Formats: sequence, C-alpha cells, structure tokens
Amino acid sequence: MALFLDLTDPTRGETLLTFVRAHWPIWAIVGLGFVGLYTLLPAPRRSAPIWGGLLTAAAILLAGVWLMPRDGAWPESVLFYAFSLLAVAGGILMLSQKNPVHAALAFALVVLSTCGLFLLLAAPFLMAATIIIYAGAIVVTFLFVIMLAQQAGLTSADARAREPFLASLTGFVLLGTLWIVIDRTYNVAPLLRQLDQVAQAASWGEVEQVWGTAPAKGNDKTLPALEPLRRAFPGGPVDVLEPAWSRKDLPALKRSAQALLDYHQEHGHRRGTIAVPGHDAAKRPELPAENVAGLGRSLFTHHLVAVELAGVLLLVATIGAIVIAAGRRGEGLR
Amino acid sequence: MSPVNLESYLLVGAALFVLGMVGFLTRRNMILIFLSAEMMLQGVALNLVAFARYHGDLGGQVLTLFIVTVAACEAAVALALILMLYRRRKSLDVSLWQELREPNLEPVVDDEPLPAPPPPPELPHLPVAGPKPEEQPHETSHV
Repeated sequence: MALFLDLTDPTRGETLLTFVRAHWPIWAIVGLGFVGLYTLLPAPRRSAPIWGGLLTAAAILLAGVWLMPRDGAWPESVLFYAFSLLAVAGGILMLSQKNPVHAALAFALVVLSTCGLFLLLAAPFLMAATIIIYAGAIVVTFLFVIMLAQQAGLTSADARAREPFLASLTGFVLLGTLWIVIDRTYNVAPLLRQLDQVAQAASWGEVEQVWGTAPAKGNDKTLPALEPLRRAFPGGPVDVLEPAWSRKDLPALKRSAQALLDYHQEHGHRRGTIAVPGHDAAKRPELPAENVAGLGRSLFTHHLVAVELAGVLLLVATIGAIVIAAGRRGEGLR
Repeated sequence: MSPVNLESYLLVGAALFVLGMVGFLTRRNMILIFLSAEMMLQGVALNLVAFARYHGDLGGQVLTLFIVTVAACEAAVALALILMLYRRRKSLDVSLWQELREPNLEPVVDDEPLPAPPPPPELPHLPVAGPKPEEQPHETSHV
C-alpha cells in the first residue's frame, strides 16, 4: 500500500467497498469494456457483434475522454490518441476474429501502431527494429496459418473460446486495478484540490476538515499529506507547510499553500506528470538526437554480459527449434 | 514538458497486456495463443520505453531490445512446437491435448454444435457438349 498516495483515508482502513466506490468511473469504464469484449469473443452461436462492438467502442472512447488533457490539443497528443486507438482496437479485433488470417492481420496492426508510439517516445531505433523483426515474424506466422489452419475451414479451435467469461473478468479486474494504481500514483488533481481548499480556508476548522487536527505541543505527528506532496512536487516549497500546520498558524499556512499552487502553475506540472527528482526538463538528455549511439554505448558498456547471453540464447533457441521441428530420424512426419 | 503524460502511455501498455492475457486464456488456436503472448510483450515494451522517455534514461530502451531478442527466440521455439503438435493431432486446437490436465479437472466438452458451414457458392458450369447445331438459313444468307 505504500505505493499509493493515500489521500482519501489517513487511517488506511480501506475496505473493498470504499475502494470500489472511490474509483467508480474507472470501474464503470472497465466494466463496459468487459461486457463488450465478452460479447465479442468467438462463440458458436453468436448474434451479430454490433452490440459488443458498440460497448467496447464506448469504453475506449470514455477512457480517451478520461485521459484527455485539459489544455488543448498538441500534435503529439493527436498522434498519441490515433496510435493508441489503433493499438487497442487492433488487439480487440485480434481476439474477436474467427478467421486466423484476419487475427494475424489485426496483430500486425497492433505492432505497427505500437511502433508509432515508440517513435513518439523518442525511440526511432526500437521502432525500426520492431518493424523489421515483427514483419519477419508475422510473415512466418502467416505461412503457418495458411499451411496448417486454412485446410480445415472453420474449426472449433477458432469458433469457440475457452472460458470466455472468467478469462475476460480476470483480465478486466487486472486492468481496473492497474489503472487505479497508475491513477493514484500519478494523478495530482486531489492534492491540488486539497491545497486549494486550504488556501481558501476562512477558519482553522476548514483546514482541519481537509488535513485533520494538528498535534498538541510536543507531539511530533507529521502532516498526513506531506509525503504525497513531496512526491508530487519535487523541489517545490513543500516543507514550509509542516511548521505552519503544527503551529496552527492559519495565515502562514494559507500563504504557503498558495505558494505551492503558484509553483504548480509556473512549472506546468500537468495532471499526471511528476517531474523525476534530479531529472529536470532542462537537464533531460536529448534522447532522439543520439538514440542509436547511446543505445550502442549502453549495450556494450553496462550490459555487455547480457548482450553475450542474448547471443547464446538466440543460438540455443535456433538449435532447439531445428531439433524440435525436425523430429527424430525414425519418427519424423508422422 | 511533453504534452502527453506518462500515465496515458502506461495505461495503453496495461490495456495491451490485459488484451493479450485475455487472448492467451480464451483462444484455442495455438498460433493465436502465441500471437497473444507477443501482444503482452508489446504492452510491457511500451511501458519500458515510456519510462525511458520520462526518466531520460536509455535503460528502458535497452531492456526493450532484450525483450525483442527473447521474443524472437520464443517465436522460433513456439512455432517449432506448434508444428510438432500439429503433426501429432492434425489440428491446431489446444483442447485436443487436454489429457495433460490435472487429474481432478473435468474435461472440456463442446456441447453446442458449430453452425453449418455456408453452402459452396453456385459456380456456373458448362453444359455437356451436345450435337453440332444445325445451320440456320438466315446466318448463311448474307455472304
């Protein structure tokens, strides 16, 4: 639980019900996606997949609205939404296709849009390498599908799903949990709301509603929101809050809360972006300019043993594939 | 500061991972199971590259290169295994291998029949070659 910025419940007595209730929009979107994907999975007697497609599209759309930045569209965000929409939609298409050739095509769509995201993330070498390697892999997979699966026509391997309800339930519970962990870790909006309430407070009672009661003299209880604030605003004027809070100095507390809000405004910590301590935006290395050279340096200095091991692994896998696929001399091609 | 936040990239990576996991668990075609595992790896790689970008550290991209290497090895061995299993059962259905399940589990029985395959399309066929048609007088009259 130390992963979370624990804002809602300082006593940490969180039950499952309050956990679900506190994040109901996320669970609603994930539940919509679950129902949509469950109806889209292949089954022998399936009605037209219009409803499943609509539900899944609605879930993807709502998730996009949830993530949408509040301060206008940038070219990068437009490209990000396009590529991630293609990636997720391709993944859903791959799961719902009965024809394995179509599923392999949808997987190619997933790989290509992930490569687009790699390019947005300043990884051009990885994009090229992934396209080249996966192009080969997908061509080989196509050969296999055409060689092995196309002779039989529609088989029960493709037209039926194994435990579709339980599997998609498991998957979407995992997705909801991951989403909530990401949201709790990176979303600074609740912290900003608390700071705003404190900065607007007219009396000490309003501060106590937000942050609880200050300690009596000599008691070294710390401000509950201090640690999350430190993590959300690294380098910001956080530490002045603590003495003002324990002295019950309302004007000083309001002043420092306002200073923190101004710091947020000035440094443009957008929703979900936490600056990493020690890595300022100005000090960030130019990833795109020397991507290949930097990767090579990193590979052959820090990760030299791993490179050698990867080479050995490739050799072993090649030999293993040949041995497995060729079979023993007496029993091959039964 | 980049306009798209780290949270969004992590969420797309999580969605790809979960879709791959659902595909791995539900699909019965061995080739599609293999592709679903590859999709899970794509989600993880997206996470690593996003962390590399937002921490300004190339370590994430190096790890992704190793992921790609391991995925290539996995592809080679998995396709060889699929080929071998196909030779034994003449099908890509993993449920044909369910005697490998644990002893206390019920076997999977497909009770619902598959829909009938669509009838083959009506192809035009040539008529049997008959006797030579008789010459019509008006066809020869315009010489």
